[in-house]
Amino acid sequence: MTTETEKDKQMRRLAKFIEERDSYEAMAKAFGQSPSGTDKLYAPLTEAYVEQHNAVIRAVENGDPFVASYYGCQPEIYVAMDLPWYTFLTPVFTNAMSPTLPEEIDATESLFGKDFCTAFRVAGYWVEKDLAPLPTAIIAMLHPCDASLAAHQLMQTNEIWRHVPMFGCDPPYWNDERSLDYYANETRLMISFLEEHTGRKLDMDRLREVIEESNKMFKLWIEYNELRRAVPCPHGYGVGLQAFGVAMNILVGDPKGTQWFTDLVEDAEMLVREGTGKVENERVRIFWFDVVSLGLSLDLFPWLEQEYGAVVVMDMFGYTPYTLIDTTSEETMLKGLGKRALCDAPMMRQARGVADNWIGDIRQVVTDYKIDCVVWPGHMGHKDGSANIGMMREVCRELGVPFMNIGMDNFDERYTTTAEIKEMFSRFFDSMGLAKAG
Amino acid sequence: METKVKSKALQQFQEAAETLVNPELKKWMEQGGKVMALFCSCGPEEIITAAGMVPFRARGTGSTGTELADAYMASIICSFTRHSLNMGLRGDYDFIEGAVWLNTCDHCRRIYDNWKRKVDTPFVHIMSLPKKTEKPQVAWYRDELVILKEAVEKHLGITITDDKLREAIKTHNETRRLLKQLYELRKRDNPPITGADALAVVVASTAMPRERFNEMLKELLQDLKEVEGIKDYRARLMITGGILDDPNYIKVIEDQGGLVVTDMLCFGTRIFWNDVDEKIGDPLQALAQYYIADRYSCPRMFQDYPRRAALVRDMIRDFKVDAIIGERLLFCDIWTVEHYQLGKEFRPEGIPYMQLDREYILGGIGQMKTRVQAFLETLGR
Repeated sequence: MTTETEKDKQMRRLAKFIEERDSYEAMAKAFGQSPSGTDKLYAPLTEAYVEQHNAVIRAVENGDPFVASYYGCQPEIYVAMDLPWYTFLTPVFTNAMSPTLPEEIDATESLFGKDFCTAFRVAGYWVEKDLAPLPTAIIAMLHPCDASLAAHQLMQTNEIWRHVPMFGCDPPYWNDERSLDYYANETRLMISFLEEHTGRKLDMDRLREVIEESNKMFKLWIEYNELRRAVPCPHGYGVGLQAFGVAMNILVGDPKGTQWFTDLVEDAEMLVREGTGKVENERVRIFWFDVVSLGLSLDLFPWLEQEYGAVVVMDMFGYTPYTLIDTTSEETMLKGLGKRALCDAPMMRQARGVADNWIGDIRQVVTDYKIDCVVWPGHMGHKDGSANIGMMREVCRELGVPFMNIGMDNFDERYTTTAEIKEMFSRFFDSMGLAKAG
Repeated sequence: METKVKSKALQQFQEAAETLVNPELKKWMEQGGKVMALFCSCGPEEIITAAGMVPFRARGTGSTGTELADAYMASIICSFTRHSLNMGLRGDYDFIEGAVWLNTCDHCRRIYDNWKRKVDTPFVHIMSLPKKTEKPQVAWYRDELVILKEAVEKHLGITITDDKLREAIKTHNETRRLLKQLYELRKRDNPPITGADALAVVVASTAMPRERFNEMLKELLQDLKEVEGIKDYRARLMITGGILDDPNYIKVIEDQGGLVVTDMLCFGTRIFWNDVDEKIGDPLQALAQYYIADRYSCPRMFQDYPRRAALVRDMIRDFKVDAIIGERLLFCDIWTVEHYQLGKEFRPEGIPYMQLDREYILGGIGQMKTRVQAFLETLGR
């Protein structure tokens, strides 16, 4: 009988990671072979996902340090420290279309209440079942929701994960200078922690380069979102999420990301100049106030476009009121990163603090993007948002746009089926007089 | 199962737990006294006392529905949140001068957002409660205390001096020490008080003028000295969880033969097992140190699980606990993980752990009885 070495264990834990990498690789090849129109943007995106996976796989193979963390934990710092990183929530996002995901979701019920956010429930299940690559260090995300914090508490009692050093920056509830100073101090502690446990040093000049590159991306993203105000909207669902993925996940501070945004803006500009919209006859402009679920991207969103000419003009992850970071000093950079992580990054911006942020965003987006209706998908994990439905409805009423609360699970189609959601949309559009043939 | 003592104080505590405005609080208000509600046990009640008001831990006691709150919150919001907001919307909380929230959890923190827009309460305030328990967090919370103190001063047109704060700390520490004395009695083989009644006492401690409560608790402690302890139980249980404020819930468990001898609850040891350090010169620093670092935390505090587990382990030993029931309000992400962890930790040590999910208002009693009976049977009792 052979004993599994530490390296064998790590390679075993990479199995699902490698599967994902391979599926992205296949997609990247397919997109690369027929690049046309907006689709040409997918090839570099999928290639970047492949490379992000490969960086972690290489780190495991070579015994190099890598980190498990999130977009809301200042990934610019990991990039500047040359630390590969992966999102702890990977299981549900990258497995969204995997046929085995429902089985995994069901299996989690033996551990946690099934009302616990599915995203973190499955991630926690992976921890308990030793299915995720064991990082050198974890930077925990203590905001914006209880589920995120709870999932990290779980690691403290897991036989394997409890030995991985973990740090989380404490998120203040406010957005003022005092809060940003406090968070910058937490960030300094995080940097010291990373330096101690990974052996990598943070070079402030390199951090400046990364931030300056990401500033370029955010400028382009803002420009892109200006173009989405056009009627008809040049692009539909999913592009906002891709932009977020590039800027905050897979190509953070990378010139390839800047190039991707340049191409995106160019494509949108061309479409706007031509007056070409995502759909031929745009009739309803939707603000989808949450993450655009990958599961729904295969069916619901195309159906909305085809059946009703209803286009997701803006969504929570595509909305980027980003403040560019001042790179003149270490102080300004750390405060700027903190602001980005707390006050700008999608979901962190809305869900972390008081509800004024929710209401303010609805008001702004409805006005700026000529929105016809606001949809709160009501993911079962987003409790803080679902406690705002009255306020959301009231601000929509004030703005003269209808509001719909669905109540679904972003990762489990069985919670509210796509057929049920379609039925809800049909009734909603009908009763609100939206999407009439025209 | 019953506490075998005729105690006027106990009767008053039981009544206080069954209603929002108890006779002592009513008397206080009739004399012109003001009341400030706190929606989390991490809220600094000493500041409220120092301001000359009664700190009142908000509950949904007596609520029968959530029909008004349901227009503002979806059904995945915990029932404590919806019931207490509903009571605010109905006007049941019109007796308070103000209310203070903290960003305790995703549910409770949103009561504030809805309340400030929809309920006409003269003073509303929310504090930013850190999620870690280290020095920078103590310093942050001290600033939050200053902000609250100044807001209360401005609202009432008063000055809260350091002396008043020190006096309030003393009074609240006395409450804590007295409650601890009550719990000491529960370590006996034949505890003189049921878990249901002990919970009523703790709930009452958060709902009436503290000095008066302290006098009454002293009377109860005196009454309990003479009492014959409870012998007819099948097992000694500990309850862990969050906002459990209904003694009837414990009564259902105890009526099956499981005597609740201790707890780790927000209306329980979490609020009194440690004292505020009276030796720290700056009273606000002392309060910040207590609320963030010293008192036993709720699981929303990051990386403090080992300390919470150590408390449970100490209690198992000191109170001779046979098994643990973990109560959880449905939809609480924080407690589902904590209960899973505690169960995983203590079952191998021979301490059975059962998680009971519940709604805030006691219901489904038949099902609960069945589960508790089955649990007690697995203990061989």
